[in-house]
Amino acid sequence: MILDLTTLGLTNIVLSLKETYLADFFAMLITFSFMIVTFSMKKYELSKGFYALLVLLTSSLYLIVYAQDYLLFFIGWEVMSISTYFLLSFSLSKEALHKYILFAMGSALSLFVAILILYSANHSFLYVDAKESFEKLSDMASIVFVALMLFAIFIKIGTIGFHYWLVDAYEESHDIFTPFLSAVLSKMGIYALIILVSYVVNPAYLLAVIGVITSIIATFKAIDEDSIKRVLAYSSIAQLGYIVTVLGVADGMGGALYHSLIHTAVKLLLFINVAGIIYVTGKSKFSELGGLIYKTPQSFVLLLIGIITLAGMPPLGGFSSKFMIYSSLLDSKHLLILSAVMFSSASAFLYIYKLIYGIYLGHPTNKRLESTKEVSLSFLVPQYILAIVVIVLGSFPAMIIPYFNKILSELHLTQIPYENMATLITPFAKFNGLVVMGAFYAIFIIILLVFSRINSKAKDVKNRFDIAYCGEVPNQSTHLHYGYSMGKELKRVGFIGVILKNSVKYFYDFIAKQTLLLSEVVRKIYSGDLSLNFNIAIIFLIILLMGVLK
Amino acid sequence: MILLDLLLMFVVAYTFGFLYYGLYRNITARFQRRFGPPVYQSFVDSIKFFLKKDSTSHGWMFYLAPIIMMSGAVMTLFFIPFFNNGDSFKGLSEYGNLFLVLYLLVLGPLGNALGVGAGGNPFGAMGITRGLTRLFAMEMPFYISLIAIMVLSGSADIATIASSQTTFNAFAYPLLFIGALFSFIGMMGQSPFDIVGAPVEVYSGPASEFSGKFLALLMSQSAIFTFAKLVLMVNLFLGGASGFLELVVKTFVLFLFVISFGSLYGRFKTPQSVDFLLKVPTAISVVGLILATWHMS
Repeated sequence: MILDLTTLGLTNIVLSLKETYLADFFAMLITFSFMIVTFSMKKYELSKGFYALLVLLTSSLYLIVYAQDYLLFFIGWEVMSISTYFLLSFSLSKEALHKYILFAMGSALSLFVAILILYSANHSFLYVDAKESFEKLSDMASIVFVALMLFAIFIKIGTIGFHYWLVDAYEESHDIFTPFLSAVLSKMGIYALIILVSYVVNPAYLLAVIGVITSIIATFKAIDEDSIKRVLAYSSIAQLGYIVTVLGVADGMGGALYHSLIHTAVKLLLFINVAGIIYVTGKSKFSELGGLIYKTPQSFVLLLIGIITLAGMPPLGGFSSKFMIYSSLLDSKHLLILSAVMFSSASAFLYIYKLIYGIYLGHPTNKRLESTKEVSLSFLVPQYILAIVVIVLGSFPAMIIPYFNKILSELHLTQIPYENMATLITPFAKFNGLVVMGAFYAIFIIILLVFSRINSKAKDVKNRFDIAYCGEVPNQSTHLHYGYSMGKELKRVGFIGVILKNSVKYFYDFIAKQTLLLSEVVRKIYSGDLSLNFNIAIIFLIILLMGVLK
Repeated sequence: MILLDLLLMFVVAYTFGFLYYGLYRNITARFQRRFGPPVYQSFVDSIKFFLKKDSTSHGWMFYLAPIIMMSGAVMTLFFIPFFNNGDSFKGLSEYGNLFLVLYLLVLGPLGNALGVGAGGNPFGAMGITRGLTRLFAMEMPFYISLIAIMVLSGSADIATIASSQTTFNAFAYPLLFIGALFSFIGMMGQSPFDIVGAPVEVYSGPASEFSGKFLALLMSQSAIFTFAKLVLMVNLFLGGASGFLELVVKTFVLFLFVISFGSLYGRFKTPQSVDFLLKVPTAISVVGLILATWHMS
């Protein structure tokens, strides 16, 4: 659909809405997440305003993905930021809310300026003209354009340095809104980046480096956190870092789309799982939880599926997307970047294990946890659906490839070859998801059967204090939930210690302090007196008159 | 046919795994000026543990953990071809690749970590924490070297990498080999990177709560896993093997080197080993990678 605003008296403004495969893909993610999240919402008593705002937010997201020009895109972006602000205001502290709105407005403003710079070259907002407009820009203007555009996008994605708002917002937002934030809103940043990369310009190596630095730092930051939702927030940043990295290399689009899909599914699963646990226990820190495995076994298994996917382990869907990412990095010879990505993804095991240990394993940290009941079905059903999604994507990794190929041909990129639904092929290697999945289960079941038939009994110890404990007998007061603080040792390691001790907070505090000083100076001149205001008004009027008279 | 192949792979790995473990105990004993137990002692031990009357369990996750660990080891074994040519002892390797094997290497230990956590023994959790903290640093030089090898061979298929070496990768790219070797020593649980199991401290390490048949399964797992890792390393750096004799000689030489190294050095603390691994071997591997792939870009 093309809207020419010339009829309304606005010349040179053409707006366009169009259904493309790329837009459909992201719209599908939005719809899916919306349905999943609303399913669990009925457990909470939310005000009508919350629902209304959520619907407004979702519709603005559809506007973003279906817009084919930067003006409608910007309108969608702005509505998204504002409605998110009001949704967050239900539960956020004042400080976190201020952080969010400052960053969101910074993002919107810089996006707007970038769009105007692009418009100034060719008088067109349309994506199809964007490349031409960009080439007409002067060198300086194009650098400013790219910088502003990336600034706007990176704030939404939460790239390291711009993640200051994100972690607080994720932690304090309503438990059932956080999955939506992580699964969908952060994807809008990815969508904007895909549009920039494929329609305007690809700041290739810059993206790859920024992405990989983001994922490494965010991974180590995640290890150090005690709050579950903060760990997941950092994990979200790190995962999006991989997507940013892979968008910066040739033929990386397939991996980026695949990882977006997997990340949406897995973050919905993990955040809903955590929401369920917080709902039944009222605790949200690792140091206050523990030992829930036999109280909430279904949640445990679902979180296990989630973390296996998050870690990118075979045989679940996470490996498929990681494999695509690694292959495209290997194929484009970004070897050191690939090493760094693999490093970050191996470091992630630490916080991933902490996630499951801190909540479900070890010992309960207080007595009340021992009477915990399994979370209700409205939390479990969405998780089961998501678990099935990642299991199916793990067995048939190439299932989604035909659709990706449509997107890729639409963007004039190289197609991903595939043999059958189960086999992913890349220039370097192929792997068959069905065989991996089948082999694992076959081996597991054979060993289980043989092992359980062996003629010796396994005696279940009912008393949880009945453990090998240096010949002593632990009791209620012994601190046994060791390990929720795992990774603390890393502070003593050179560069990791530097990452963990420093925070971008200091930088922003510095900025805030300088701004306050500056505003004090301004306040001295502009004291707010009525006489001063009157004088300024007079001077302004004179200038205006002079202008008119000329 | 493929099932028979897989069964034979399992049997070979099981036998040689225990044989090597017995030799390991003998050889380290000689380093410490004593005579070790007979070569078959570990095998006998494991059978004895299997037949113990009772073994302690802490619920279903604890029960499943050694089984997941064993499955991880067997999976790893099946996705690594024994020989660089021919159709026998190929296992499932044509359906997988090196990236898959790298992830399978940590699948078992992570499954076990769940069981250890479920067991609720803080010493077990301590071992897991140490292991995971060390893990990423240990993998780093290994990954870098393997990435270089993959690019140089133009494939991530293990059999192709093994057969495409005219001179062994270990000699053609010594820096890559040395870097990877440091990680390999850690992966084999040898000093100076053996803080996870910490063999001399009684109450520590992931295995502290496992007894009876669980311990027996863990021992068998460790034997198979050791052999699988040796075969992987031989395939990647020593040109693979074309027959059993070659395979045994090459794996044994590598094994001998690793355990001799392990017997000679003291143990790093966790932060020390992370620090060391991220500095020296990683730097060696990075330099190796740059030198080896310089002409390609």
